[in-house]
Amino acid sequence: MAIDHSMPVLIVDDYKTMLRIIRNLLKQIGFEDVDEAADGSEALGKMRDKRYGLVISDWNMEPMTGIELLREVRSDEKLGRTPFIMVTAESKTENVIAAKKAGVNNYIVKPFNAETLKSKISAVFGE
Amino acid sequence: MTRAPQQDDGALQPFERVRAYVDAKQGGDPNFADVVALAEITADSMQAFFATINVSVYRELREIADYITTMRSEIALLRAGELKESRLPSAGQHLGAIVVATEEATNRIMECAEAMLAGADKDDAAYKALVSDKAMEIFEACSFQDLTGQRIARVIETLEHIEQRVGRFAAAVNPGGEPGEVAEDAREVRARELMLNGPQAAGSGIDQNDIDALMANG
Repeated sequence: MAIDHSMPVLIVDDYKTMLRIIRNLLKQIGFEDVDEAADGSEALGKMRDKRYGLVISDWNMEPMTGIELLREVRSDEKLGRTPFIMVTAESKTENVIAAKKAGVNNYIVKPFNAETLKSKISAVFGE
Repeated sequence: MTRAPQQDDGALQPFERVRAYVDAKQGGDPNFADVVALAEITADSMQAFFATINVSVYRELREIADYITTMRSEIALLRAGELKESRLPSAGQHLGAIVVATEEATNRIMECAEAMLAGADKDDAAYKALVSDKAMEIFEACSFQDLTGQRIARVIETLEHIEQRVGRFAAAVNPGGEPGEVAEDAREVRARELMLNGPQAAGSGIDQNDIDALMANG
């Protein structure tokens, strides 16, 4: 399935610098419609207002973490099938397993490069 | 009057003398001499009794006093005042400065990168000049690492200092004992339940290849 680069993407991270980095990387890949949220609860609010083709989220945020956001999204009838990639410094096996169990589509550990982000997004969309 | 702990029956024997004397005098009219004799026997009995409890109580109080003296010395060695007034605030300031410096440097570097990306449509000479300028700015911005490295070293020094003092104090309080279990607070419970482990030390976490393998295995 070819990736539709016009689809809106939501990036979620409590660290502004990381949001800026991912936004720039997505721009290089071809994604222009990129929104930001500082934590899971803000992201959930945005997802209820706008249909996103992809969510890229950090794990460690407050008041709602990335894993909590993922679980909320997957349990929501309307949002449940939204592609979700975790991009996080959490690199323990238990984290990856928990994310997979919660329905994450892919998992990227920080620090990462543009090529990794691109390939993991492509993998989610079957390219 | 409470009995001293582990008081042996020998301490009760004097009171038996009181009982025996009273039993012997029952039925008769006690006179002044009887009362004096009884008072003497009772006083003797009490003295014997107090002698017994005095020794054990004294020993325990002495141990407690020694323990308190030791604790006072250990607490003094903690130099909590110095930690609170000087070392910890200083460490906090260093950490705050690190956050500011890294943020400034990162923003500067990203601005340079964005400028270079935006200048891609310039002619070759102009683009080359732009890239050259911005590359130099990036090098300059990267100098933050030197200063933040020094600040981090200071913070590590403070933490090691604290670790040393607290470790010594813990050993004094509980020599050879098992570390006591401390109840988790709400934040710790949440961190454990949501696996908020944070960045791992080199070699502790798994890498992207391992993650890809985990994700691929059905």
